[in-house]
Amino acid sequence: MERPSGPWDPGLQIERTTLAWLRTALTFVVGLLVLLRLIAHESTLAAAVCGALTLPFGAAISWLAWRRHLRIERGLRAETPLPGGALPAAAAALSVLAGCSGLIYVLFT
Amino acid sequence: MATDPEDRDSRWPRRLYRDGSDPDPRFTLANERTFLAWIRTALALMAGGVGIEALNAATGQASPLRTALAVLLLLGGVLCSATAFARWMATERALRRGRPLPAPRLAPVIGYGLGAIGIAACVLLFVSGF
Repeated sequence: MERPSGPWDPGLQIERTTLAWLRTALTFVVGLLVLLRLIAHESTLAAAVCGALTLPFGAAISWLAWRRHLRIERGLRAETPLPGGALPAAAAALSVLAGCSGLIYVLFT
Repeated sequence: MATDPEDRDSRWPRRLYRDGSDPDPRFTLANERTFLAWIRTALALMAGGVGIEALNAATGQASPLRTALAVLLLLGGVLCSATAFARWMATERALRRGRPLPAPRLAPVIGYGLGAIGIAACVLLFVSGF
C-alpha cells in the first residue's frame, strides 16, 4: 500500500489515536480472558461458547481501528473530513455489554 | 473529494455533524483518545469487580461484602462506558461550535469513589482478612 508522502502531523496524532484504540482492544481482550477463565471454573463448554462469541469483537475493533487509521491518514492529505462517531459508539456499547455480563456473572454465580 | 458539510455529511451521528464546522483534526483525534481512555477506565473498573468476585470463587464462600464491592465496581464501569460516548459527543459539539469544553462531571465521582472503595477495602483487609 502506498503511503502518502510528507508529514501531515509532526505530533503523530493519528498514530497515537490508533495506539489508543489498540490498547483499548487489548484491555477488552485481557479482561475477557480473565472472565472466561472464571467461567471455565463453572463449565468449560460455557467458557468456550462465550469466548467464541466475544473474542472476535476484540479482533474486529483492532481491524476497524486500523482501517480508520488508513482512512484518516489518506483523508487528511486529501482534506476530506475525519470519520464519524459510529466506531466509538460501538465500542461504548460493547463496553456497556461487557459490564452487564460481569454484573450477571457476579449476581448469578 | 471534499464534501459540502452543510448538506452531504454522511457521518453518524448526523445531529452532531449538522452543527458548526469541522475543528482542527488534531482536536477531534485528541477527543477520540480521551474517549478511549474513559472506555479503558471503565474496563479496568469492571476487571476490578470481576477480580473481587474471583476471591469469592477461590475461597469457596461468598462474602456479601465482596459481592457488594464487586457490584459497585461493575456498576461504576457501566456508568463510565455509558457516559463516555455522550461526553465524546458533547466535546465534539463544543469543538465544532468553538464553545468551551464540557466540565468532566464524572471524573470527581470516579476519583473520590475509588478513593472511598480503596479505603474501605483496606479497612476490611485488616479487620476481617477480606
